[in-house]
Amino acid sequence: MGKEKHRHRIIGKLQRTPLWKKEEFSEIEYEPTPVKELLTEMKDISELIIDLAYSAVLLHNQEIAEEVRYLEVRMDKLNYDIRIMAMMAARSKEDAEQLAGILQIAQAAEKISNTAGDIILLMKENTEPVLPRILAKADERIYRLKVTEKSSGCNQTIGSLNIESETGMRIIAIRREDYWIYNPQSKSSLIANDIVIARGTDEGYKQLDEFFLGKKEDIK
Amino acid sequence: MKKTSAEEVVLEIKDKSELMVDLAYSSLLYNNKTIAEEVYDLENLIDDLYENLQRDTLEAVSKQQLTSDSALTIIKLAKAGEEIADAAMEIVDVQLRDVELHPIIRMSLKESDEVLSRVFVKKNSILSGKTLGELKLGSEIGMTIIAMRHKNRWLYGPNKKTLVESEDILFAKGPADAEKHLQDLADGKTMEI
Repeated sequence: MGKEKHRHRIIGKLQRTPLWKKEEFSEIEYEPTPVKELLTEMKDISELIIDLAYSAVLLHNQEIAEEVRYLEVRMDKLNYDIRIMAMMAARSKEDAEQLAGILQIAQAAEKISNTAGDIILLMKENTEPVLPRILAKADERIYRLKVTEKSSGCNQTIGSLNIESETGMRIIAIRREDYWIYNPQSKSSLIANDIVIARGTDEGYKQLDEFFLGKKEDIK
Repeated sequence: MKKTSAEEVVLEIKDKSELMVDLAYSSLLYNNKTIAEEVYDLENLIDDLYENLQRDTLEAVSKQQLTSDSALTIIKLAKAGEEIADAAMEIVDVQLRDVELHPIIRMSLKESDEVLSRVFVKKNSILSGKTLGELKLGSEIGMTIIAMRHKNRWLYGPNKKTLVESEDILFAKGPADAEKHLQDLADGKTMEI
């Protein structure tokens, strides 16, 4: 019975048009965003997307994989926008040379996001037990943590807790009830029962886990 | 090629390729050609590792030491790392060209979620004379040291045993709010990690 209910829920979800598909079919509209903002967003996505892709494969999670596809399509759009903006900004050969450098960096960031798309294709393969074993030995690993009611971190923002600077753990996604928050910013709050996906070292993980379990009052 | 298992080689490709991206962005931010050239060298290393890995993995399958599923996973993971390494090289290409960098590049790198910083370790700094393993900068202040310069020698992707000495230059990556803490530690203004 429980299994049937679970299956029903997944089918219900699959029927909804995925966000990335919507983005892909939406007409490309030219939005005049400054080159600097476009490049910053592209760099940020390129750093987040690889971690998300490995998380999706490790945790066998289709929803995280869907976010990777969405970001990949978003990256294509940003790359298109940045080309237009750069071309409009060129007034001389010197300008064009300098702007070509910006476009090359943007292209590299897009290439990284395409690689993330390839990584999630591993979900179709039988990657057990090799993939978890390899990733378990990496310098920095991906961990899954739960924020319990007992933790003094509940209802506090990520920024006020200084999670990354105190523990070195970078939060890449939060699962709350039935939705996800990807790349939460310092203004985002933590709530009891949140599932946190974070990247960092084993020491940082232990420290943050104790804090989330309420075993330690202070994050330090 | 040394006799290491395919899994270890994939891991090396993964860790090195991610380090390369950080180094590539650092080279742009600090207009540093030495770091950029290191990214080039690392790319060659990764290409070699990847080439050998494909052959070794196939041989392991033919000798029935590895299942085809495992081999496919290993090769695909390695390919992802190799592509990331390629992207890092494309980034440093911009640095190595004889064209002055567009100021926007540095501005957008500074506004990014993860910042890159460079600090000089002063004589009275608490960092001096300790290994990275003892300092635990990653878990204590959130900054990961990606490269350092000791006298005339460069060290990329230092490990726990690496000793920090005064007058070293550290290149680190982490959240913006930790940058000042690292700077104060290196300056000797604060003794508390």
